[in-house]
Amino acid sequence: MSAAMTRVVRVGVILIVAALVPGLFVLLAGQNPWRVLATLLLYAFGPQGWSEVLVHAIPLTLIGLGVAFALRAGLFNIGADGQLIAGAVLAVFFAPYFAGWGIAGLIVFLILGSIGGAALGALVGYLRAWFGASEIIVTIMLNYVMIQMISYLIRGPMQETSRFWPQSFLIPDDCILPIIVQGTRLHAGLFVALVMVIAAAIVQRRTVLGFETSVLGANPGAAAYAGFRVKILTVIVMAISGGLAGLAGAVEVGGIYQRLQDNMSEGFGLAAIAVALIARLEAAAIPFAACLFGIFFAGSGALQRELALPFPLVWIIEASVIFAVAALQWALPSRKAIA
Amino acid sequence: MGTTKPKGDRLMDALFITALLAATIRLGMAIGLAAIGEAASERSGIFNIGIEGIMLSGAFAAAWGSVRTGSPWLGVLFAIIIGLILAGVHAFMVLLLRIDQFVSGIGMVIFGLGFSSFVARLTIGAKPTSVQGLAPVDLGAISHIPIIGPVLFAQSPLAYIALALAIATGWVINRTAFGLEIRACGENAEVAETLAIPVRQRQTACILFGGITAGLGGAYLSVVQVNAFVENMVAGRGFLAVACVMLGRRRPVVAFLAALGFGLAEATQIRLQTQYPDLPYQFLVILPYIAAIAALVIGHARRGMKAA
Amino acid sequence: MTPLLEARGLNKSYGQLRANDDVSFSIFPGEIVGIVGENGAGKSTLVKMLGGALAPDSGEILISGSVVALHSPADAQKAGISLVHQHFNLIEDLTVEENLVLGRPELRHGILRFKELRPEFASVAEDLGTHIAFDSRISTLSVGGRQQVELIRALFHDPRLLILDEPTAVLPPDERDRLLRFIRLLKGRGTATILISHKLDDLYDCCDRAVVMRAGRVVGTSELRPGDRAELIRLIVGAELPPPDTRHGTRGAALVSVKELVVYRDNGTVAVDHGSFDLHAGEIVGLCGVEGNGQTELLHALAGMRPVQSGEITFAVGSRPVTNAGAALLRRIGVAHIPEDRLHYAVVAAFSLTLNWLLRKLSNPRFIAWGLLRRQAAAKATATAIKDNDVRASGPRARMADLSGGNQQKFVIARELGEDVAVILAGHPTRGLDIRTVVAIRNRLVAERARGVAILLLSADLAEVWDVADRIMVMARGRLRGPVPVAETTLAEIGHWMTTP
Repeated sequence: MSAAMTRVVRVGVILIVAALVPGLFVLLAGQNPWRVLATLLLYAFGPQGWSEVLVHAIPLTLIGLGVAFALRAGLFNIGADGQLIAGAVLAVFFAPYFAGWGIAGLIVFLILGSIGGAALGALVGYLRAWFGASEIIVTIMLNYVMIQMISYLIRGPMQETSRFWPQSFLIPDDCILPIIVQGTRLHAGLFVALVMVIAAAIVQRRTVLGFETSVLGANPGAAAYAGFRVKILTVIVMAISGGLAGLAGAVEVGGIYQRLQDNMSEGFGLAAIAVALIARLEAAAIPFAACLFGIFFAGSGALQRELALPFPLVWIIEASVIFAVAALQWALPSRKAIA
Repeated sequence: MGTTKPKGDRLMDALFITALLAATIRLGMAIGLAAIGEAASERSGIFNIGIEGIMLSGAFAAAWGSVRTGSPWLGVLFAIIIGLILAGVHAFMVLLLRIDQFVSGIGMVIFGLGFSSFVARLTIGAKPTSVQGLAPVDLGAISHIPIIGPVLFAQSPLAYIALALAIATGWVINRTAFGLEIRACGENAEVAETLAIPVRQRQTACILFGGITAGLGGAYLSVVQVNAFVENMVAGRGFLAVACVMLGRRRPVVAFLAALGFGLAEATQIRLQTQYPDLPYQFLVILPYIAAIAALVIGHARRGMKAA
Repeated sequence: MTPLLEARGLNKSYGQLRANDDVSFSIFPGEIVGIVGENGAGKSTLVKMLGGALAPDSGEILISGSVVALHSPADAQKAGISLVHQHFNLIEDLTVEENLVLGRPELRHGILRFKELRPEFASVAEDLGTHIAFDSRISTLSVGGRQQVELIRALFHDPRLLILDEPTAVLPPDERDRLLRFIRLLKGRGTATILISHKLDDLYDCCDRAVVMRAGRVVGTSELRPGDRAELIRLIVGAELPPPDTRHGTRGAALVSVKELVVYRDNGTVAVDHGSFDLHAGEIVGLCGVEGNGQTELLHALAGMRPVQSGEITFAVGSRPVTNAGAALLRRIGVAHIPEDRLHYAVVAAFSLTLNWLLRKLSNPRFIAWGLLRRQAAAKATATAIKDNDVRASGPRARMADLSGGNQQKFVIARELGEDVAVILAGHPTRGLDIRTVVAIRNRLVAERARGVAILLLSADLAEVWDVADRIMVMARGRLRGPVPVAETTLAEIGHWMTTP
């Protein structure tokens, strides 16, 4: 078999297996996989669903950008869920102080979100750079810590005034991201995400910071040879990665929840890893990968309603996608230089 | 002149220590089981960050098996089988397709989350189901000796299996040719290859072993510790197991002991909740996770001291 | 008499590259045959085929007159061939006896019983005249000690033919002598030896005859008579090489001063133990020593890549002297560094040549403006550098990994050296490269010296350093001896210093 033929066969097998695995679980649930696919697509491109796809794509884009940026430097940020919470908490905590500031208040709100996530990220980076503590473990541990912290805060010091529900007080009107399409949940966070995509693409491709990050991930020895301050770079990269997740937290609060509550993250942290991997760590490709997962996330609601398929099917699909993308990289190795 | 404690108080202390130590072992065992196999796997050079997902799948498989067949031991068997299958996928991806170990691991975590919750909702999780658990061992008189009886001789059978596994794994790695080959693979796979050591075979064996123990760890959770399947019940223990292996420098017995350390943190945290009901429980729940971070920092700092 | 081993018409190609072209030779029992040739001549490919690690595309190998098919190193062992590679197959963190067991598949069963195995190991070691603690870790052994372990491994199988690939490359003079004596001892027992080397002295000191390889072919043989040296060199090198540049520089002011420098290794041990020396403009100082005695750490510390534990490194270059500076600052003020380990430090294999160019130009306003990369300017400069320095590559967008070792090194040197450079720190700059590139690089260093540049040349090849250096210093166990002017010392003395701290 010629080399090209081998490649085609391999790609084919990978795609088939990747589709088969979730398909089998669908069958297990007594449903028809083609119906599932049809339902998903009809919903995602239909009048009710398209906005929901974008609503989910917004935080996935932001977090995905952060995860990709860290991954380029060889750092695995699994802690986006915790960083998202940190950003949301910081932003909401100070939000009452800038009620009535208008758009400036919204901007400060978003900036605070970024700072909250960045602080947590920087901590992880510091522990990794100075103590060699695995950022994989530390970020995951901090996820659990932050989940407990927000649980405490919304039942305690930051609880809403009637002291009945486990949720925080409402944020001031200025901090709310306006809906941009009437009748949907699609909010101005979309613009925030797009701006960040452009910024990330520029940083990645055109700035010294982006270059240093790529070198660090590709060959740490070369980074030392070139005189990069690797420890500080590690902290900066993790701070930016966390900051984007924190920004996502503020955006979710400002656009969707308008307050703090449990389960705001919905597992975006892990999904964002898949998004980053599919996008091959390229900022420009992240929004598309995020929309793909937006289809899965948003569509799973439709699947649950119409076909009684439990939500965790999304995770199975996600895992399939991660393995498929990785396997495709094996089947189609790139011989091009990173330029 | 010192005062001796009244008899009642000393009894309370003894009961407290007994309960704490027994809980330490009970709560650390799931992590410990997973850590044993992961230590072997890492010793051969391959990480499996996905054992969180394998544990979750094992927890579900054991619970489901126990409910379906009425025998918790069969449930344990199912957990082992699913552990083998998932670890096999990881081995295939990492060794044959040369996929990044962490990518495959994260994929495994996500799959485990999806698989266990999805199938649970379709079967045993659809309505409240009690899971037949593994009864703790009762060795008669020995199990009732004050303090050491309940702590050492009244644990679940899986705990004794775990201890035996830890010691046996350590012995195999250090004292047999098979273990030597594994160590060679982990230290320098290229050289091992040149020495005609079947590197992939050895690594696969270790990864599969890791899958078995991770499955067992998950089974322990659902069939011994909690006697139920709750979605996402592993709650980070798989990652704690990886941390244990890091702390134990890939030595199975030391990693196992580190896991018991986390068991102690968990047991302490629970006791403190009852002793200080006014303290928000969330601050106590995070203790094991903070302990993990602190241990990693101290562990590495100590190593770095020599180079300073 | 039938030859012990005969190679007939061995061919091996890698794509377009003919690594071995119709290679034939034979060796009789008890002979010591040297296979000599420069880097890239095809010696290692031949060795791999004889050792069973590689199958020839065509041709035959005969052992005692019968054709054998060597599909694996195990096959070669069964045929009585034992091979000691140039780069040792030892596992650092395991002990000597563990490594010995790993080298013997028939021992790798069941429970390890070192107590029973030790007498066997010991008797072979005695033969060699070595005393090694079998339970010591490989990482604690010197290079010579490691080679001893490899030899013990090789000799277990009671080989009829021992093949040694570049065994003297890393040895100090007295250990080299010991090894060559041992090979002659083996000869007396009837074991044949093939000695692969690129050094003529190795051949003359111990071989019965030599087979010369060049560009994949056998181009001649020699009976190694004293008068044959010139002819041998001609055979090895082929066409005329560019003449060596022999200009000397004029020694100027001290540009680098090192005072009481202490540098640690990653594992906490002392690599450089209170070293002091000066480096002046217009001179080449050679840094010699057995590998692993701290030279790498010294160079890395000088280049700002490794922290200084105590002591000072002062560069009096540019407007103000700097002390204990980092790598980026040093490059800015004109200190060039050619790392020993190219792939781990000097280049990023997956990147294009342009990005590799930028790696050390990030403070150059031609290529950076306000934190932004000026890619087009960088690409142009890269293209020019490639052309001017004879780097064989398809262009600035080529992937570094696709270049040959020699071209990669030429690129690194092109990137590092320039008008602004006042000090060059060169770590084994010619290691493993073909003779033409070696001469070109050496001439370049000499030209820089004539320009007034101060050069520190780290090299394990004593002869090469001797040719070119003005002064020499030696590192042994972290302690520095010298620098002394080359004229005031001898090779023997330097060799002696290399082994006595």
